[in-house]
Amino acid sequence: MQRQAFPPPNQKSPELFHPRPQHISQVPHLRSPPPPVQPQQQPAVNSYGNPYGSPPIQQGGVDPAYGGNFFGGFMNDPTAQMASQIGKSAMMSGQHYVEQNFSRYVSVSALKHYFNVSNSYVVRKILLVLFPWRHRSWSRQQARLNSAPGSDGPHQQYSHMYLPPRDDINSPDMYIPIMSLITYILLSTVLAGVRGTFKPELLGSITTTSVAVICTEMAILRFAIYLLGITNESQLIDLAAYSGYKFVGVIVTLFLSEVLTGGRGTSNWVGWTVFFYTFLANAFFLLRSLRYVLIPDSSSDPSLRSGVDYTLARSRKSRRVYALAIYAGVFQLVFMFALTREDGIGTNVISKASAP
Amino acid sequence: MLFSFFFGFGNIIYIGVLLLNAVAILSEDRFLARIGMGRNAYANVDPGFGARQPDTESVKYKLVVLINSTRTVMRAPLIVVNAAIITYLLVAG
Repeated sequence: MQRQAFPPPNQKSPELFHPRPQHISQVPHLRSPPPPVQPQQQPAVNSYGNPYGSPPIQQGGVDPAYGGNFFGGFMNDPTAQMASQIGKSAMMSGQHYVEQNFSRYVSVSALKHYFNVSNSYVVRKILLVLFPWRHRSWSRQQARLNSAPGSDGPHQQYSHMYLPPRDDINSPDMYIPIMSLITYILLSTVLAGVRGTFKPELLGSITTTSVAVICTEMAILRFAIYLLGITNESQLIDLAAYSGYKFVGVIVTLFLSEVLTGGRGTSNWVGWTVFFYTFLANAFFLLRSLRYVLIPDSSSDPSLRSGVDYTLARSRKSRRVYALAIYAGVFQLVFMFALTREDGIGTNVISKASAP
Repeated sequence: MLFSFFFGFGNIIYIGVLLLNAVAILSEDRFLARIGMGRNAYANVDPGFGARQPDTESVKYKLVVLINSTRTVMRAPLIVVNAAIITYLLVAG
């Protein structure tokens, strides 16, 4: 019904930079003018700079000298304006929806926090992963942010926020795990190349294995967190970061055993010694670091503080300690063993697969 | 030799599907209800007559919830996934 209100193309020559002539030409074509048209058109006729008259140009996004000419005043039609407005708002809401859903799974600002590192932090953190024995305080430092700057007095709202890795050596970061993962992949292929068993498929197979190790570890940790009922905020990225630190020990094991034994790999006493040292250091580091992530201290646990079911909370806490010990001891041993054995095994498998 | 076959994306998919199958084929009448981990293990507790509230934080409660929800949700998709894997292995493996 509204479609019949379109003026035929090229009926008017809209040389003016204003939709006024076309509006006037539309009105006699309408059989029954819709109510919202009338108040919009009155100011457009009256004054040139009236804000009520300008929306057809801005919202349509089409210069009336061209758009009105080619489309016959299509964008100036109120129905088309409404349609374009609806379309625009729908697209914006769709964009907002996508952003919201994306940021629900991967929070970009939270990820930026994990990459806020400095050179001295990286060096000190790597040394801490390799020599964690003399480190004293393992708790992460918190910054106190005043979230409501206008209010003062006892009702002032404070929000605690962990310091970025640049300022706190105990904070987990994602830079060292990702870089050490890439370094591990490249180092394994380089070692295979030194031994003369390099194949291009080796890059893919080592990457697959190491990423699968990380995925398996995340799945096990997620399952354990569900079973133990641990609730903490932004925890999975922390755990991914902590599980990535073992690549540092794996790299050191591979490199040192290769250099010290003159290219005979990790299957001798030098290799085993370095492997067990890095495993013990990594386990100690994980035990001390994850204590503050997985096991809440008794002052912040509400069930412990309120005194209700005290023994239950105690048993829950000891269960978490056991789970953490098993994770840091047993699973890390298996995973690090798998990663340090990977280069020789991978070359064996691939050479065996490509032999016939 | 063991580990490079164990860790790999195809093997992880196989392991996941097999574990899901293992949970999904547990019999409600013959096994789960008999060991006290069935669907009604925590449903018939009436707190009005002195019965204790079930400890929703315990590992057993969470296991019961996880097993039952896995059996409920994953039954239909597992049929499709199993059929696809069987077809793939028949053709390519």
